Amino acid sequence: MSDLAVAPISSDEIRAYLATQLPDATDLALHDVAQIAVGWSHETWLFDLHYREGGESHVLGLCLRRDPGNALLRHLSDLGEQFRVLKCLEKTNLPTPKAYWYESDPAILGAPFLVMEKVAGSCPSPWGREGRAFYQGAAERGVLPREFTEALATLHTIDWRAVELDFLGVPASGRGFAEREIAKWRELIATTAHPPEPILTDLIGWLEANIPPTDRVTLVHGAYRTGNLLIDSDRVSAVLDWELQVLGDPMYDVAYVLSDLNREGTHLLSNLVERDAFMRDYEAATGFTIDEDACRYYNALYAMRSVAFWMSASDLYASGRSNDLRLARTAWSVPVVLDRAARDLGY
Amino acid sequence: MTEDELLQRLSATLRTEIGPAIEVEYPKTQAFMAAVVTQKLGRQVGLARVHETAEAADFNALVTDLQELTKSSPKLKKLDDAIAAFDGQRSKVELCQVIDALYGERAELGEAQFARLLARIRVCLRSSIDRQMEYAA
Repeated sequence: MSDLAVAPISSDEIRAYLATQLPDATDLALHDVAQIAVGWSHETWLFDLHYREGGESHVLGLCLRRDPGNALLRHLSDLGEQFRVLKCLEKTNLPTPKAYWYESDPAILGAPFLVMEKVAGSCPSPWGREGRAFYQGAAERGVLPREFTEALATLHTIDWRAVELDFLGVPASGRGFAEREIAKWRELIATTAHPPEPILTDLIGWLEANIPPTDRVTLVHGAYRTGNLLIDSDRVSAVLDWELQVLGDPMYDVAYVLSDLNREGTHLLSNLVERDAFMRDYEAATGFTIDEDACRYYNALYAMRSVAFWMSASDLYASGRSNDLRLARTAWSVPVVLDRAARDLGY
Repeated sequence: MTEDELLQRLSATLRTEIGPAIEVEYPKTQAFMAAVVTQKLGRQVGLARVHETAEAADFNALVTDLQELTKSSPKLKKLDDAIAAFDGQRSKVELCQVIDALYGERAELGEAQFARLLARIRVCLRSSIDRQMEYAA
């Protein structure tokens, strides 16, 4: 039980930290502080910072994310990397929150954290009734589906070398990208105490034998779907959840969009976009041709990734590193994903 | 009351009495999640004996078929060793080693033999995952 979440933080502690970052500001006060319970990775607080500077009153909307010490995927995605990615993306026209400060020193707020802009908008969950109703309405209005596709096209056409995202690691051409992903998820699986799964062994064998070669390398978000996009008046105001990004084959993101993983009870991709419209608009905006065979391959790779996620998540609970019962429940998600993977492999 | 019946009863209490009585969002969610976990665990515990018997029978049949199918093929160290180990210890760990060896020695086996062996193993894997889905879905 040694790695349970770090102690809660108070508004006063946050305010004291912000005072050190804004030395000319006075009368600092936090308003509308809310700890939002989304995601299983980092703790997130939203608030408005009110202060005076240069004889004037200011309000700065902020979002603070802290590493709780037992986050899912913790060793694959740290806040320092997220901060660096967001700083790089500020130089592009992709809508992302402005990153203000990152602190790795746990002495400040008990654990590493970053502070970024609180962007206007909301993030309806596609898994809930209200969220599904929102996306259905947005699909009928027609603006957001185009925005969804355009934002992905923008993401995939970023000159990642120019904005210095190559620190993410440039995969070798050909089989390099998929090999690296397989190795990454294999490594995560190996860190868990989950018993071996023969279907997973079969899946990995199949993945290694059928890698689609690719020479195209773009920024890849890794979890591009509704629920990870902030939406304001049917516009994508920010692409969020920069935890799984890599440089690699853009079809990896396209496969995720095309997958039925991210829609429930609807034919709309990500509960929002008509498949034909997505494919047409994406190809027109990027100049890339969607490779459906590669997408089918990456869909199988997502099955491996999901198994790795759920094994890792349930292990966090089983090993006593988290008390969140949502993680315990994921132990039964492993066979569900393996069942789907087996069907994809033809059995 | 059997263990699985007790777990199902606990699940029902969490879902219908404890969860609804909690007003704070996070513990309320946790109570409902505890109901889901105990329900799935109850089903798994209840089916465990039947599933273990079925899996043992499947593994026995698979060992026999793999030995038969590889009898006339060229001797391949890794695969033969893995099948022998699976014969000795009929568990998922050894089955994973057989699958690993199959992919690893695919070229030496030839596509037809590789496909034959894999298809036979996959029959066993399908039965296994169907059983798991009885409590996981």
